[in-house]
Amino acid sequence: MNNLVFGKYIPIDSLIHRLDPRAKLIGLFLMIAAVFIPKSWIAFLVIGVMIAIALLLAKIGIKMIVQSFKPMIVMLLFLMLINSLSIKTGYVLFSIGTFDVYSDAIFNTLFVIVRLLLMISITTLLTATTNPLDLTLGIEWMLKPLQVVHFPAHEVAMMVSIALRFIPTIIEETMRIMNAQKSRGVDFENGKLSEKISAILSLIVPLFSVAFERAYELADAMEARGYVPGAQRTRYHVLKFNFLDYLFIFICLLVMVFSILSRFYL
Amino acid sequence: MPISFKSLSYIYNKDMPYAHKALDNINLDIKEGVITAIIGETGSGKSTLVEHLNALLLPDEGSLQILDYEIVAGVKQKFLKPLRKDVGLVFQFSEYQLFEETIIKDVAFGPLNFGFAPEEAIKRAAEALKLVGIDQSLFEVSPLEISGGQKRRVAIAGIIACDPKIIVLDEPTAGLDPQGAKEIISLFVNLNRKLNKTIIIVSHDNEMVYNYCEETVVLSHGKIMYHGKTTDLFADKEKLKEFNLLEPQIVELKNMLIEKGFKISSEARTIEMIAKEVAGQVKR
Amino acid sequence: MSLIEVKDVTFSYNGTRNAVDGVSFDIEKGSYVTIIGHNGSGKSTMAKLIAGLLPIKKGKIVIDGDEVNEENIAMIRNKLGIVFQNPDNQFIGSTVKDDIAFGLENKMVESEKMPAIIEEYANKVGLSAFLNYEPQNLSGGQKQRVAIAGILAMHPSILIFDEATSMLDPKGKKEIKQLMYELSGDDEITIISITHDIEEVLQSDDCIVLNKGKIFMHGKPEAVFKEPEKLREIDLDIPFVEQTREAFGKYKIRLKSDDLKGMVDELCRYRSNH
Repeated sequence: MNNLVFGKYIPIDSLIHRLDPRAKLIGLFLMIAAVFIPKSWIAFLVIGVMIAIALLLAKIGIKMIVQSFKPMIVMLLFLMLINSLSIKTGYVLFSIGTFDVYSDAIFNTLFVIVRLLLMISITTLLTATTNPLDLTLGIEWMLKPLQVVHFPAHEVAMMVSIALRFIPTIIEETMRIMNAQKSRGVDFENGKLSEKISAILSLIVPLFSVAFERAYELADAMEARGYVPGAQRTRYHVLKFNFLDYLFIFICLLVMVFSILSRFYL
Repeated sequence: MPISFKSLSYIYNKDMPYAHKALDNINLDIKEGVITAIIGETGSGKSTLVEHLNALLLPDEGSLQILDYEIVAGVKQKFLKPLRKDVGLVFQFSEYQLFEETIIKDVAFGPLNFGFAPEEAIKRAAEALKLVGIDQSLFEVSPLEISGGQKRRVAIAGIIACDPKIIVLDEPTAGLDPQGAKEIISLFVNLNRKLNKTIIIVSHDNEMVYNYCEETVVLSHGKIMYHGKTTDLFADKEKLKEFNLLEPQIVELKNMLIEKGFKISSEARTIEMIAKEVAGQVKR
Repeated sequence: MSLIEVKDVTFSYNGTRNAVDGVSFDIEKGSYVTIIGHNGSGKSTMAKLIAGLLPIKKGKIVIDGDEVNEENIAMIRNKLGIVFQNPDNQFIGSTVKDDIAFGLENKMVESEKMPAIIEEYANKVGLSAFLNYEPQNLSGGQKQRVAIAGILAMHPSILIFDEATSMLDPKGKKEIKQLMYELSGDDEITIISITHDIEEVLQSDDCIVLNKGKIFMHGKPEAVFKEPEKLREIDLDIPFVEQTREAFGKYKIRLKSDDLKGMVDELCRYRSNH
């Protein structure tokens, strides 16, 4: 479980860490749009440099991006193969025996790879520098307009933040139940299909029954401390936009405008 | 010796900046047919030690001999199943491992995994349930529908039914009421006396340890601080202080009486035995 | 008038067996009351009924002049706080300070005022150095202290501890019991503690023994423990001092002291006198 780096919060201090989560969320959307629009390598280079600067400011190592990217390599190789087989435009780049590989096949795949890399970098920038609770607050703020159509933005945010809070607890619990079942002779790695099903059941059923018990007790605890769903509450964390937040959004906006223009002029 | 640790170390998050040596050069021989307690503060490495007994964790350094199985650091193990059959591990809050549709099925789950024939597994399950005091009328009930104390018993029956030679218990009485706790402990004391099972109990309850466990191992920061007779440990005030152990009231009383010149044998571990010995020394 | 009046309350979860069966008692303001009984005796149900977490169908509970019912529930919740058994399942915030803030947010305390209040109550339970800690990095005892801080910050007049120490290690148990004892010194705070811990009962003012949903005994802890046979009858533990008295009683040695030291002195006198 510890190898999972994608989406992990890195609790250090940096310029990017200190930005308002809402600014970062807005930035995320603008930048993702910016990554999807251009078709020229120069535009990608410019966007890439901007993101690299942000990564540097956030003190995120390139290692983390590479690790997040790793699981997708197989998929991308497969895409490369499909593209080579299906795309027959551009010029012949090289031939394997009688099979010709066209330039567009390779370039198309490279585009996808670059876009994916940039996307991962942007998302990592957000998740690695924003503590999950602040992120929830940011999401809640963004969902607020939907309250007009009676979307329970606050309740959803509360649910997400509680889910985040309980992830470590549930991982620990999963490990414990797995160990207990291993001691009873369950083999989680090998075995016939029927054995595998019973192994999974022996983990899932207790996990659910504990989760429900926790949920009931948590509900009691929340109620006892005066929580009423849907009622007005004040907030301990108050989000505040600073000059840097506006500057950050402005820069992201510039990048997006640039990428739109690149479609016409580059 | 059924269990023997040889210079064993275990490191959590090895190769990470926050690596942490949970067990540090452990050398320990557990006696056969004896109830041994493992005590120490939270985080002293007790649970890590226990998980090694079932090869749930494998040593980073040193080795471990359990019955006829040898686990050596860095060597791949092939005998996990037979080892886990012979060493029954009852986890903390073991009631959370129940999952089958009926109690009897759940208890038979372990024996079936360890290769007992279905009829044999059911027979063993029924016997184990009887032993822990679960009435036959409950056999076909869902294990999720009984009380917490009963669940704990069913979980324990699930281990006993596998007929282990060694039984390891991690905080078996945590969260139970005092009466329930007493019943669980006497169950294991009986298994030890009648069937000569080797029993290891991880516990915070020093009173229980003093009353029922012949030997005690004290762990602190992953190291063994003491291993020997329980009565010797608790008779030594210096050691109790050094290991930050609470003195059970029975020990307090016994030590006070000995200080005043009463003669009390080291075998006197319950208030009844102490009263009997002291009564012989006063005139009524 | 007593602060809490429980009058002939009966409650059943499934309609077949009464978990609480015609229970009546009063609790005075500022007192520290322990409720004991083995698992299934109805003690946790009783705590939930007082806190309004279960609906009262028969009998009534009056707190500070107001009856506990659907209508008054918000007002009554304001007056009481509960510390539950499982330290993990009541930790709502993602850090210590967020968890203490949770109740304040519900109570509509202004954002600017929160940091000072959080600081004050974290300090009160000895956790000011842990404000930014996440629950997985805290011990059970520390988590329970966070829960207590979160509740105290809301200024309740009644604190209910529902087996709050039963899942803790000896160190955690000791810490929480000590904290409860300190809180009981405050005349504005009434404590109701559901417990198995005999030593804790001894530090309370009043003890209610429940058995099969009914009141079995009710009185000062010393008085309750003076009848060990009665407690034994319903499978309850008795304090070590009483166990000692009983064990020596079998040999016709009648010890009169209320502590071990006194008993040892008595035994010495027995030896030298005769």
